[in-house]
Amino acid sequence: MTGLPLCFSELEAGYGGVSVLRKFRGTLRPGTLTALIGPNGSGKSTLLRTFAGLLPYKGSLTLGAGPEAREVSRIPRRELGRLVGMVPQQVRMTAPFTVYDAVALGRLPFQGTRAEDDRLILDAIARADLEHLLLRQVTRLSAGEAQRVLLATVLAQNPPVLLLDEPTSALDPGQTARVFALLRRLADSEKTVVAAVHDVNLAVAYADVFFALKRREDGISWISPAEAVEKLDGEVLERIYDTPFDSYVSGKGEKVWHVRIK
Amino acid sequence: MRRGPEVLSDYKTALRGRRLRCAAILSCALVSVAFWRLTQGEWSIPPSKVLALLSPFSGEAELSTPEAVVVRSVRLPRLLSALGAGGLLSVAGVVLQGLLFNPLAEPYTLGIAAGAAFGGALGFAAHVSWVTPWAFAGALVALWAVQVIAWRSGGGRAYLVLAGIVVNAFLSAGVTFLKAIADDRLGAIVLWLMGSFSGASPGASLGVWAAVLLSVPPAWFWGRQLDAVSLGEDRGSMLGVDERRLRVILLCLVSLGTAVTVGSFGIIGFVGLVVPHLLRPFIGPLHRPLLLFAFGTGGCLTALADGAAQNLGELPVGVVTALVGGPFFCRLLLRRGREN
Repeated sequence: MTGLPLCFSELEAGYGGVSVLRKFRGTLRPGTLTALIGPNGSGKSTLLRTFAGLLPYKGSLTLGAGPEAREVSRIPRRELGRLVGMVPQQVRMTAPFTVYDAVALGRLPFQGTRAEDDRLILDAIARADLEHLLLRQVTRLSAGEAQRVLLATVLAQNPPVLLLDEPTSALDPGQTARVFALLRRLADSEKTVVAAVHDVNLAVAYADVFFALKRREDGISWISPAEAVEKLDGEVLERIYDTPFDSYVSGKGEKVWHVRIK
Repeated sequence: MRRGPEVLSDYKTALRGRRLRCAAILSCALVSVAFWRLTQGEWSIPPSKVLALLSPFSGEAELSTPEAVVVRSVRLPRLLSALGAGGLLSVAGVVLQGLLFNPLAEPYTLGIAAGAAFGGALGFAAHVSWVTPWAFAGALVALWAVQVIAWRSGGGRAYLVLAGIVVNAFLSAGVTFLKAIADDRLGAIVLWLMGSFSGASPGASLGVWAAVLLSVPPAWFWGRQLDAVSLGEDRGSMLGVDERRLRVILLCLVSLGTAVTVGSFGIIGFVGLVVPHLLRPFIGPLHRPLLLFAFGTGGCLTALADGAAQNLGELPVGVVTALVGGPFFCRLLLRRGREN
């Protein structure tokens, strides 16, 4: 299956009639891992939720290439569930489903046989490193485990477009690295992968394209043009986060960035 | 360590076994309660005679005896009404708790029952003979008001329950007001609102079971979507569920079931709240099995409560369910608090 690009232009979205994003433009291509970076409240979650069709928007947001491109707001919800998957930022789950039952809901938009579904569900659970928790109730998981359940649900859903809102916010460094490697592999298999991330060094190591978001003084977010953030360096990071960054060089000669330590 | 597929198939086998055991227990309970309710009453009719009278092949002559009238037109409708009404209220509780992911949701918290009560009381005050349509209209208006208030104030599910509490308080005051001004009908309204199956007619029991057929199968059909929605805010939408449409459909079905119950038998509280909580530890949170078991268990417990009410000198059944359900629910809450 060929991947689905997601294109947006003049995109405007927000909550309750108040725009948070305005005049956003860009293209997210299959086979690339796109990182959304920017401070808290800069509109990353709003943008991802708009991509997922969860918010009303103005302007254009299309899924697919050329003549097959379709406006996201016109795609029926069930079909959208087969095309776009999202890992939300909110990790807490209130209903005491087992991990298996929660991940199985990723197959909800499809009509597969039970055996085929179970194979995909178990595979997704294994890839999210949750096999040992298969029958544990999701309400009894740690935040990091719950976050990986959400990731596994999207893996079981297996859509061409994956949107992840800070998918590693509750994970330890080892799990974080594994999730980024997983996202990289997904992108390499012609998926369109978009993740809002705070760990700039992992973003630099794994992502192909960066969009920087920043909230302007009028409360409307600004997004960098697609090619503007070709390379993240201390100067760019300082402009994005309004904090000085210093570079450090590892024993192997790799450069990483960290906020200035006093 | 054992592999995933083996663990999963063992789990599924165990789950099936547990559900079968629960179904067997529930069936036994239903049969016992039905037997008790059909054979006991003011008239003592031997059980063998009751069974003979219930047979669809009884002759004409037999059916015109007073015993036949008691069994077929009084006891059977009363049993069927209690089973259907309790089932409807419990299914409503399961649906609302899943849809709003609020453990306290039931037809009463959302103002649906208060709307039905207000509509019905209005019907009584206007001297209509059949108040169920009035109750349904009242329930729909209450539901609409709740939706509008919640939507205007932000649209979240937390707001729905808040709006429900407001509408509930307003309409309850409305019922009190109607009672105050409808002097000549005061007795009828008060008696009706207290809730009782003692006057359940064959028509009323048919009405309840028509509502069951209209609302329970669709709720089961959308059970998987309800699972997705119950996982958290917008989780359903992310998994391809049109949450708004699902909410409208299911809330209308729940209103119908509640209105038919309230319209025919008055207010019967706590069933919709307690039964889902009672079952979850045994059945789990998946909505399809939960809905079926809630229907059976709710019916069984309500018929039991009705029997108790009758034997205590025709108490209103709503009093029995509240007196038993209230402390029982507190116990459930306390136990859950300890577990967390």
